[in-house]
Amino acid sequence: MAYVAIADRDHHLHDPDTFITKYIWSQDHKVIAIQYGVVAIGVGLIALALSLLMRLQIGFPDVFSFMTPYNYYQYVTTHGMIMVIYLLTALFLGGFGNYLIPLMCGARDMVFPYMNMLSFWVYLLSVIVLITSFFVPGGATGAGWTLYPPQAILDGTPGADWGIVLMLVSLAIFIVAFTMGGLNYVTTVLQARCRGMTLMRMPLSVWGIFVATILGLLAFPALFVAAIMMTLDRMIGTSFFMPALLALGETTDTTGGSPILFQHLFWFFGHPEVYIVALPAFGIVSDLLSTHARKNIFGYRMMIWAIVAIGALSFVVWAHHMYVSGMNPYFGFFFATTTLIIAVPTAIKVYNWVLTLWRGDIHLNLPMLWATGFIFTFIHGGLTGLFLGNVTVDLPLSDTYFVIGHFHMVMGVSPVMVLFGAIYHWFPKITGRMPNDVLGKIHFWMTFLGTYAIYLPMHYLGILGMPRRYYDYGQTDFIPDSALGVNQGITIAAIVVATAQLIFLINVALSLWKGKRADSNPWRATTLEWQTPDTPPKHGNWGPKLPEVHRWAYDYSVPGDEADFIPQNHPIKPGEESLRVAGASRK
Amino acid sequence: MMTGLAIGLVLGVTVWWVLIQRLKDKPWERQGVIEGSQDGLTSSAPKVGLWVFMAMVASLFLIFNGAYLMRMGFGHGELVGWVPLDEPGILWLNTFVLVAASGAMQTATGAARKGDLGALRTWFTAGGVLSVVFLAGQLLAWQQLAATGRYGVSDPAYSFFILLTAIHGLHLVGGLVVLGRTAAQVWRGLDTENVVAAGTIRQTVRLCTTYWHFLLLVWLGLFTQLSIT
Repeated sequence: MAYVAIADRDHHLHDPDTFITKYIWSQDHKVIAIQYGVVAIGVGLIALALSLLMRLQIGFPDVFSFMTPYNYYQYVTTHGMIMVIYLLTALFLGGFGNYLIPLMCGARDMVFPYMNMLSFWVYLLSVIVLITSFFVPGGATGAGWTLYPPQAILDGTPGADWGIVLMLVSLAIFIVAFTMGGLNYVTTVLQARCRGMTLMRMPLSVWGIFVATILGLLAFPALFVAAIMMTLDRMIGTSFFMPALLALGETTDTTGGSPILFQHLFWFFGHPEVYIVALPAFGIVSDLLSTHARKNIFGYRMMIWAIVAIGALSFVVWAHHMYVSGMNPYFGFFFATTTLIIAVPTAIKVYNWVLTLWRGDIHLNLPMLWATGFIFTFIHGGLTGLFLGNVTVDLPLSDTYFVIGHFHMVMGVSPVMVLFGAIYHWFPKITGRMPNDVLGKIHFWMTFLGTYAIYLPMHYLGILGMPRRYYDYGQTDFIPDSALGVNQGITIAAIVVATAQLIFLINVALSLWKGKRADSNPWRATTLEWQTPDTPPKHGNWGPKLPEVHRWAYDYSVPGDEADFIPQNHPIKPGEESLRVAGASRK
Repeated sequence: MMTGLAIGLVLGVTVWWVLIQRLKDKPWERQGVIEGSQDGLTSSAPKVGLWVFMAMVASLFLIFNGAYLMRMGFGHGELVGWVPLDEPGILWLNTFVLVAASGAMQTATGAARKGDLGALRTWFTAGGVLSVVFLAGQLLAWQQLAATGRYGVSDPAYSFFILLTAIHGLHLVGGLVVLGRTAAQVWRGLDTENVVAAGTIRQTVRLCTTYWHFLLLVWLGLFTQLSIT
């Protein structure tokens, strides 16, 4: 039973009337998206600053007296956790998921707007708890972002008193927030699409966000379980993860707990988490490439298959993070195999992106620059993943800078490339202003080349055997002096890249203040969000009547059509069928 | 482990088959509004939302289950200090109460469908009261276990027992919040003037019932596992 009549009623159930209900306690998906985005980018800047402090220590040891080993480990931990969870997950799903799903599916809002609002405020709470951990006695935890017990909760590790508990509590709160948002994203995609918008007509951005959310809903419980059990181990002395051991010369009361159990739980969440970040990026970048190459996405159906296959496979590869953990060696064989299998759908996607560009009418504007940048960084990060996915190659490279180079390239830089591309792409729709092109291009080239200057040398350092997570390398024979020079270079590159992000902030501020006014569809794109009656879209998105979808999302450069794009809500033109057939046979 | 893999395989093949049915469309060949396709916000959205939520909760308990088995040491319990727990007998009574609660909810759904307001009030409230009795029974079980004085906090079987029953109980409490709000509406009456609101109440009653059956299922699985290990 469809009640479109209710969806189309004039008095929407939660029409905002005051400043507070409009911009603060807002239930509008677009405002919530911006709230998510601003908080995620804000907390991401903190993580960026922390990474610079770490780099200063590694590049110039003994120069900065405020960098103690204690602080160093706190910064490493918080940097990693913020970037992966509080920035990337929140910005892709809470930010872009919220903004794009209703607009791209032709809905007025999320299905459960009140819960959507709560989702943001609970997320904000989790961020506040996380940041608070810096100001409690003992400071934030320094357990490394993987929080492995037993060391994470033993005295001697930074933040073993309060920091670790606040970190775990913050994660649990984040998961609650994610659940409330995630239920909305999945249900909205399944239940609130406008007339004509079949699942197989949805833009790939929505597909990526949709499948990533399902992954999150199934994988975050593992982190939740781990967080609860470790909190209990720390607070009341249970032995879920804590074995009988000797710490600081004394035996503990715990017996028989399994540290490897924590690793399994953590990575059962942790690996899908990679794809929770990557799948929205895959989806969004497909739309950016197609729009700005004025060509339909190559292999639309295969792209969806690949997203679904990657999502399913991501649950059976987790132990490739644990080859050196001492688990049963037969597991290594199994997980190396599944890891290599997941490369197949991923490679299909990469080929399809490149083939979308092939003979396209490529407009090298800001979103396109970032999108092509992503193809480079993702291929490089992905190829080093093949090294680490094989047990025998992974063993010597494990816990070296090679791993740092690999995962920053594949799940740090690559999704960030897409994020910036997406921000520049949808900036005109979100704000009604065009971003500044020159500043954006400076931002791109400094970031793109700069990240290579940071992460390529790290692979070399890793092959030299330079271990990760060390505060100071001291007198080590196997690391040549030249490594210090490389490290200094990396630190300088990191400072340059961080500076480039200031250019981005200036660009946003400047464009908001006096950027060129954007019309409703500046990129001449086909998807529904560009067809709204107002830019930025008003509450309810579509004016009096919901849109109606007549075609898929990629009708670019249709043979015989004078414009090089046909929006999804444009009805079939007379004779269009025969033109398509003629165009197809011409090829 | 092997059973888990087999279940995973069967699930995977099923999902795969369903997806094949959905994903074989060639959207670039078909133009125009597709008849029979969805048309704006559907009334079954809350139901779908609930099912997605239950999938997540199922994932939570399955993962707890995996952690439980790993902590048991897969039959090498003596190496990791696993001593099977002596579960209090009251759990059987609690199980019976929860089954009764589920039954009451089912009857309430039937009454709501027929528009029998009196029966709806009675059975819906009974479902809530029985659930509270179940929770009280679980607390009693905790107390009885603690009173034996045999279990320390670092005893894994004991701490898992408390943790799992607590998590299950919390999910029931969450359900009771929704149930309480709906019960208040039911007692105010299924206003025949406001058809939409009455429909919403009926739907919420139905969804509560689904959730109660789900939590009963989770409890039965949990109880079985706790009893045999």
